[in-house]
Amino acid sequence: MLSFFITTPLIVLMILNLPFRSLMKRIVFVVGLSLALIQAVLVALAIFGFWDIYSIPVSPMLRFNIGVDNLSLLLLLCNGMVVFITMLVSRSFIEEGEKRFNFTSLLLLSFAGVNGIALARDIFSLYVFIEVVSISSFILICFNKDRDAFEGAFKYIILSAIATIFMLTSIALIFLVSGDMSFEAVRAALDNSAHTSLVLMAIGLFLCGFFIKAGVVPFHGWLADAYTSASAPVSVYLAGVSTKAVGVYALIRIVVTVFGFDTPINKVLLFAGALSVVVGAIATLTQTDFKRMLAYSSISQIGYIVLALGIATPLGIAAAAFHFFNHAVFKSLLFVNAATLEIATGTREMDKLGGLAQRMPVTGVTSALACLSIAGVPPLAGFWSKLLIIIALWSSAHYNYALIAALASLLTLGYMLLLQRKVFFGSVGDHLARIKEGEWNLIICAIILAAVTVGVGVLFPFNLCKLIIR
Amino acid sequence: MNILLLPILIPFIAGLLILTISSRARFIKELITLFATFTCVIISFSLFKKEAVFALPGIGFGIEFNLRLEHLSSFILSASTAISFLIALYCVSFLRSKPYAKQFYSYLLITLSFVSGAVLSDNLIFMLFFWEGLLLTLYGLIAIGSKDAYHTAIKAFVICAVTDLCMMLGIGLTGYLAGTLNISQISLDLSPLATTAFILLVIGAISKASSMPFHSWVPDAAVDAPLPFMAFLPAAIEKLLGIYFLSRICLDMFNLMPESSLSIMLMVIGGITIILAVMMALIQKDYKRLLSYHAISQVGYMILGIGTALPIGIVGGIFHMLNNAMYKCCLFLTGGSVEKQAGTTDLEKLGGLMRKMPITFGCFVIAAVSISGVPPFNGFFSKELIYDAALERGWAFYLVALLGSFFTAVSFLKLGHAAFLGKLRDEYRNVKESGWLMLAPMAVLALLCVIFGVFNAYPINNLIQPILGERAVGHSFSGFPTNFTLVLFTLIVLAAAIISHLIGVKATGSGVRAVNYIHYAPVLSKIYELAERKFFDPYEIGLKLLSALARILYAIDRLIDWVYEKLSINIVFGLSRQLRYWHNGDYTLYVAWSLGGMFLVIIFLMARG
Repeated sequence: MLSFFITTPLIVLMILNLPFRSLMKRIVFVVGLSLALIQAVLVALAIFGFWDIYSIPVSPMLRFNIGVDNLSLLLLLCNGMVVFITMLVSRSFIEEGEKRFNFTSLLLLSFAGVNGIALARDIFSLYVFIEVVSISSFILICFNKDRDAFEGAFKYIILSAIATIFMLTSIALIFLVSGDMSFEAVRAALDNSAHTSLVLMAIGLFLCGFFIKAGVVPFHGWLADAYTSASAPVSVYLAGVSTKAVGVYALIRIVVTVFGFDTPINKVLLFAGALSVVVGAIATLTQTDFKRMLAYSSISQIGYIVLALGIATPLGIAAAAFHFFNHAVFKSLLFVNAATLEIATGTREMDKLGGLAQRMPVTGVTSALACLSIAGVPPLAGFWSKLLIIIALWSSAHYNYALIAALASLLTLGYMLLLQRKVFFGSVGDHLARIKEGEWNLIICAIILAAVTVGVGVLFPFNLCKLIIR
Repeated sequence: MNILLLPILIPFIAGLLILTISSRARFIKELITLFATFTCVIISFSLFKKEAVFALPGIGFGIEFNLRLEHLSSFILSASTAISFLIALYCVSFLRSKPYAKQFYSYLLITLSFVSGAVLSDNLIFMLFFWEGLLLTLYGLIAIGSKDAYHTAIKAFVICAVTDLCMMLGIGLTGYLAGTLNISQISLDLSPLATTAFILLVIGAISKASSMPFHSWVPDAAVDAPLPFMAFLPAAIEKLLGIYFLSRICLDMFNLMPESSLSIMLMVIGGITIILAVMMALIQKDYKRLLSYHAISQVGYMILGIGTALPIGIVGGIFHMLNNAMYKCCLFLTGGSVEKQAGTTDLEKLGGLMRKMPITFGCFVIAAVSISGVPPFNGFFSKELIYDAALERGWAFYLVALLGSFFTAVSFLKLGHAAFLGKLRDEYRNVKESGWLMLAPMAVLALLCVIFGVFNAYPINNLIQPILGERAVGHSFSGFPTNFTLVLFTLIVLAAAIISHLIGVKATGSGVRAVNYIHYAPVLSKIYELAERKFFDPYEIGLKLLSALARILYAIDRLIDWVYEKLSINIVFGLSRQLRYWHNGDYTLYVAWSLGGMFLVIIFLMARG
């Protein structure tokens, strides 16, 4: 049954690409939307205990080992939700017809790939799905075929290629040691032959591959360009789930399930995480482009997730997973707002904007909520995950990192307020006097995501513990 | 109701009542004031030389509402109520056309209430309550004087509040040491901690009596505040209260020994106050301001007397306090009389008023010779007692006191000459004598000066000597001084003062400039100039220090602000700009970073492995 998560989108993709394309072009939007929605609802129901989430069935189909646990469910949920949002946003950006058909097809491919990442239980299928997602992401980034988009996609391809080399090398080395690919077998083999330099090199290469995919400093060079140059719905998708799945989720999965925690690995994760947190936050301050600012903020937030993972305690992993989910929500929300602004004003330069909260009340309010959530203001969702991270750091005696995390959280608040003030507060300039609120689909997206971030924050103490604590 | 509560409650209620009455109903307010003060006079005289105790259940921590009437307090109570009544009588005429009459009457009555409370309280906490309450009316009475008087009022308030704070600490320390806050039960030896408490309490007491260095608001108030205020508080009531508490401290609460360093400290304060204040008085060109410096100078005699810790000195100090209340009050009232009739108190303009205002002049002469210490007026007898005590403790103190006497006499010769003798200016042709309401209090006070001088045996033996209790047994302080050498010196000094005045007048041809040879003496002229510019005023110095401190704190504050607002922001934004500069969009650079990062990670892992 789990394999349906992978096969259904693929089959739908194939059917869509059969003849009768003129018919298919009309229903493609609805089909994509409903697929994503169904997945999100199913998984959400699973979170509330509908499924027996602890069963790990192994299917022989396609010789892939797949299985599900809480972490996979979280990614499946994010994937469903963000793809749904992306589809809705794309309605305003991608014109109906051939373009939207192609866009939806690519998105469905990527959607299937992310589901595959979530469910994969062996290293090689994980790698394959990562490549599926990456390749569809390249094309999505340069979907508009303008110069900036090609440049952004090109940088992403180059660095992804390097990451691929790292990963393949690492997989080859691991295969040498273990002779098998499934997580359990590799785990057992690594436990027996731990700390040989070959294994350590393999682990290092794998980590670096994920760092590149996730955009951890100093492997982050491609991220800001790719996020900024992509068209608005693609930005939402990239920031919300794509890079998170191929980079962060895969990193968590491999470290937790395969490599296991080891002091040197933890130190690398902690250091890289803290570096990302600080560099990302500081770099944000002088950006003038709305989306570029959000991109650097993403680097900083990914840093938090990696930092939390490096703590290597159950609480730390739980905090990492929770922040992963929260980041998908509020960063998608901010990119949706960026899309709304771009359509309404035609610019993303923050210095040219101002006072838009009066003209675009929903965008202004939801953006404020997202900013506060990302900055960790109670009772929004972001507060709880940051709190968990800092508590986990403190309780495992990483006082320096706890201090860095707390201070960087101040920086986060600083740059988010800067963004909010420049764009939404103050008085409206003359050139913006006729601005109106965005279209209904954008409004719905913003409201859904804002409701999730507020709801999760308010309900966190009651419900989400159950999901996250493994 | 206990009779001890009446001197506190009657004026207080009357004072509040006056505030509620329309300011046009002048007659009613005057009537209420006179009635209330007169009732207090009758009550306090009926209580005179009696002993009584009144206690309410305490509120814990040794704070009990205890009133206690005994010899000294009944004597101070009678004196203050009597002076209040005389001032009230004087005010009926003096304040007739003044807009602030309503407030003045009200504050006067409330002041009287607080003074009675402070004098009667046996518990230090309640005494402090009334004592602090006086600050309010002090501020009010000065501030109503003129539009800018609030500057002086704030000055007075600040000085008194600071010293009252010292006193508050002293009271806390005393209560801690003695285990009780009831004055009648406290008796401490001067251990180091008790010495601290003693000094703190003395600061409160002598500041209330406006001794140096807590004096500087008095001359300012003389110019700004209503004149009856000067006659009422600085000249009389505050002296009574301050010296009352000082003698309480020295006689009852602590056992001050004649040879102790604290005694010398008090005598030095007294001596300095005498000489510096009188030197300042000497050069004043304003009737009221000149008197105000004398009001400070005379406190020096009292402190000197009590500070000797000898029975004869204490008797002299307290007797001088009483005498000072009479003649200083009388002098200020003559000043008010001149101000009201002539419209000015500038000595350069006045002159020749003797013919026009004979009764005022008569009162002035009696009070002036009293203050100068001419026999057989009251000032002479109290000063002789103090001289005697001072000589016993050291010739330097005696010399200072004698010198003070000389300058006092000189400055009053100058004042009398400038105001009442000499040529009458044309614009004062039509000046008339004041009304009887103003003359009566002056005349009464002047008469008392004579009576207390000629019949000094009665007040000394009946009023003052019993205060000392067993210490004074076997002594006799009354009658004409027995030490004729001292009297002789006093007379020589007075004669020298007259000669000096005559020389001065001859040299300059004018009464007001008779002391110019002292004023413009080589070194003194510079010092005087600085003093007139308030260079030595402790309040001004304190203000300067405070503003310097404030400037330093401001600078520190700016520095902290700068760290937060400029430095940290600039560092962070500088870093941010640098990061932006590094992210130049060149993908080869990004690839290089990634490869470098990979090498570092792998080297780190393998080195650890």
